[in-house]
Amino acid sequence: MEVLLFGMIAEKADADRIQISATSLSELRTALTARIPDLDRMSYAIAVDRAVVLADRALNGTEEIAVLPPFAGG
Amino acid sequence: MNEVKQHKVKDIFVQGPIDPSFVGTSIAKHATRHDIGAHEIFLGQIRADGPVVTSSEAETRQPVTAIEYTAYREMALEAMTAIREEAFIRWPEMTCLHVHHSLGIIPVGQLCFMVFASSKHRRHAREAVAYVVDRIKSELPIFGKEIFADNTHQWKHNT
Repeated sequence: MEVLLFGMIAEKADADRIQISATSLSELRTALTARIPDLDRMSYAIAVDRAVVLADRALNGTEEIAVLPPFAGG
Repeated sequence: MNEVKQHKVKDIFVQGPIDPSFVGTSIAKHATRHDIGAHEIFLGQIRADGPVVTSSEAETRQPVTAIEYTAYREMALEAMTAIREEAFIRWPEMTCLHVHHSLGIIPVGQLCFMVFASSKHRRHAREAVAYVVDRIKSELPIFGKEIFADNTHQWKHNT
């Protein structure tokens, strides 16, 4: 699945989207940590279909996934 | 509740700074609305001082010269639509609510954010603007890169 990256996480990954296969959010987190340097030391949230999701859940690959660093609007 | 207006998704993002004359034009557009008795406007401006940095390099940091804003546009607009609908339910006297946020590089001293509410009396407009500003800052996926004079940068983080 395609994962959208933003802000300092896109900068660390040197990409604004990456391809990852994962069947759950916890699997996705593990894969992201392996792919993006220092991600485990950064604060971030994962949005599934444009809503932040905290608990683990299954992913079927059709969701819109985004990794969001802290918000800074205003 | 049937009278609650359905608000379609509006694009709040503008490329570059918000021109102060745009604020004036926005006010002028309401002259034909004779049911309005109060306007409340919040404007965000890029400030030179960066956040407190605890590392030793803090002393050598130069002032912020600009912030580069990016956003997860689709999610931000969906979140904004929900906030807008909630605000109209909480403050039914509010007649309109206009929100604009900059994207791209905004130099220090320039405007990057505007929340403009109008209502019959002042209380609804004032409360709605304070509420909407706070919700936008905490809930919209907007990211800010603070650029320093020496071309280094740091990522802004709302608290």
